[in-house]
Amino acid sequence: MDGHPYGYNIPISEKTKEVPWEEKVRIFEEIKSDFRFKEYLFGCLNCGVCTASCPSNRFFDFSPREIVQRFLEEDVEVIYDMMHEYIWACSQCFTCWIRCPFVNNPGGLVIIMREVAVRNAFEATKDLLKPYGRVLLKVMTTGNQLSADMLQPDFFPDWGPKMQDNMENLRAKRMAIPFDVGKAVKTAWEVSLETAIEMYTIWRETGIFEMLEKLDPNLYNVIMDIVEENEERWEELMEEEEE
Amino acid sequence: MGHGKSPYLRYPEKEPFPISNRNSHYDHLFEEMYELEEKGEILVFRITEEYKPVEVFTRTGRIKLIPTNKLWHHKSCGQCGNIPGYPASIFWFMNKLGLDYLNEPHQTSCTAWNYHGSGTSNPVALAAVWLRNMHQAWKTGYYPLIHCGTSFGSYKETREQLIFNKELRDAVKPILKKLGRLTEDGRIVIPQEIVHYSEWVHAVRFQIKELYEKEGKPKGIDVSNVRVAIHNACHTYKMIADDYPYDPEVYNGQRPAASTAVMKALGAQVVDYSTWYDCCGFGFRHILTEREFTRSFAIQRKLKVISEEVKADVLITHDTGCTTTFEKNQWIGKAHGMYHPIAVMSDVMFAALACGAHPFKIVQLYWNCSNYEPLLEKMGITNWKELRKEWEDTVKYIAELEKQGKYDELMEFFKEYDLYEPYSKTSDGFKRRKSATADMPLFKS
Repeated sequence: MDGHPYGYNIPISEKTKEVPWEEKVRIFEEIKSDFRFKEYLFGCLNCGVCTASCPSNRFFDFSPREIVQRFLEEDVEVIYDMMHEYIWACSQCFTCWIRCPFVNNPGGLVIIMREVAVRNAFEATKDLLKPYGRVLLKVMTTGNQLSADMLQPDFFPDWGPKMQDNMENLRAKRMAIPFDVGKAVKTAWEVSLETAIEMYTIWRETGIFEMLEKLDPNLYNVIMDIVEENEERWEELMEEEEE
Repeated sequence: MGHGKSPYLRYPEKEPFPISNRNSHYDHLFEEMYELEEKGEILVFRITEEYKPVEVFTRTGRIKLIPTNKLWHHKSCGQCGNIPGYPASIFWFMNKLGLDYLNEPHQTSCTAWNYHGSGTSNPVALAAVWLRNMHQAWKTGYYPLIHCGTSFGSYKETREQLIFNKELRDAVKPILKKLGRLTEDGRIVIPQEIVHYSEWVHAVRFQIKELYEKEGKPKGIDVSNVRVAIHNACHTYKMIADDYPYDPEVYNGQRPAASTAVMKALGAQVVDYSTWYDCCGFGFRHILTEREFTRSFAIQRKLKVISEEVKADVLITHDTGCTTTFEKNQWIGKAHGMYHPIAVMSDVMFAALACGAHPFKIVQLYWNCSNYEPLLEKMGITNWKELRKEWEDTVKYIAELEKQGKYDELMEFFKEYDLYEPYSKTSDGFKRRKSATADMPLFKS
């Protein structure tokens, strides 16, 4: 079915049409089975206050009201179609949440959908997150999402000429930051090795590494090389301390 | 006045301002939290007198305790990596006010920026990261102060999920056990209140005002003519909306109080604008990979509006992403005839400048891409060019010493460095630590 009686005015994509109905139902049920789903969706007046105050709605074909309505209608086809690109327009500001008279959380529904899209390695998700790889590499290996050396002027020409100045003598400038653990260049602050090791355990135990492997095998390999190297360093240090 | 049997849920006898939401679901969290503590499942990291708590009100009128002393700094990766004067200003104030605190490397980011941007995590991992950091704070005896708005919002939400969902507690507990991050009797450590630094600034605003009178004004600094526009961060007051300060002196309790209240205490002119409610356009993933959206939203919905409606001298923020979005997305507006230059900085950075902090050594304005120079002039910091030169010379000197491998001299230099020493306190003392990255932060090994 191409048309929809109201609201969602994007034709169902070919890639959604090609997917067997059972698979779409499986994805729909996976979203609904998240324990947060029942805490994020209560009812809907169709008042549209969420969409009216949504920043992404101003620049993208994106409407939090649509997401709420499609879930209430149990519109499996549209929900599956939204999983490709639609959900990635959300800014995650949660203006919709604070404004909804029913206390629905459309931004929360989006984050569940994104997580399901990542876990099931949707092709569109892989493409969309490719440029995001540097952040993933940093956060998975160091426990920081951003560091001074990531803000290279070449990546941010739109941030203006002062960015060029910032990056000159970067190491010395970082040393001139007046608090001890803030002097790092490759991390936002100095993250102790034992802290990073604890974080790797969290990623392993919660399936995050597996999630990454399905999403981007090359990135996963790079991350695991660093993780294993750090774990070896840690074991050596422990052995040294024991001796 | 008590509210049920939980000691963590208190309301004043009289409503402090008109309250439109009297029946907050969030109240149950504090009742449930107490019950779980009574059952021995969790340990509540209580805000006792040693933390010198100050009472503020949330939008439902609930009394929230803000600890002001003996704080464990849960730093922000975006701030430390990109706006280092932000945390430096917080530490500077803590030194100036003679407060005890701990700033150490045994902390990860909350990882929630990544989660909101990419979806590559899950509630169990987020809860484990949060509880691991909270346990570290509890172990040291210092109360966690969350610098980042997204960490604050995410932690508030994660706490709610954890308290109300046994399945989440059951999933995270074995992981914490493996990490050695439960109490000796096997309980999860949960803080009584999750506290953002802007709440701390709000709580100590009158001490900041005193410092301004005592040290800022004698230097010729005067903020009374400065027009200040406020941007409240979405993740501080829209995420778990019933857990952020409101105050009768700020729009009669109908808008978030933090940041606005400290500006008013300093005597700056707070100006209102029509899109105060809008977000900044950061979008988590968008700031990096959908920058057309971020800059379009920031310019058209905020910077242009502030420039045309109120002609503010500075846009005051209280979060990492908003500060970055607004100060980095101005110059590009020139390409479309939409250049609306305005200084952008956080409340604590502005307050530090007002109280006489060095604009470059402490507030680190050098990293800022917005036009802060006219603001400094208007504040009366007219020698900013000399101060900037002083900082630039310092950087050159450091670079030269490092180039020559004179690490002992560098060490000596840092001992003399302005306000360096008090920042070095960590739970493992001053010894050299093993870093998670190959580069040692201070010196090459």
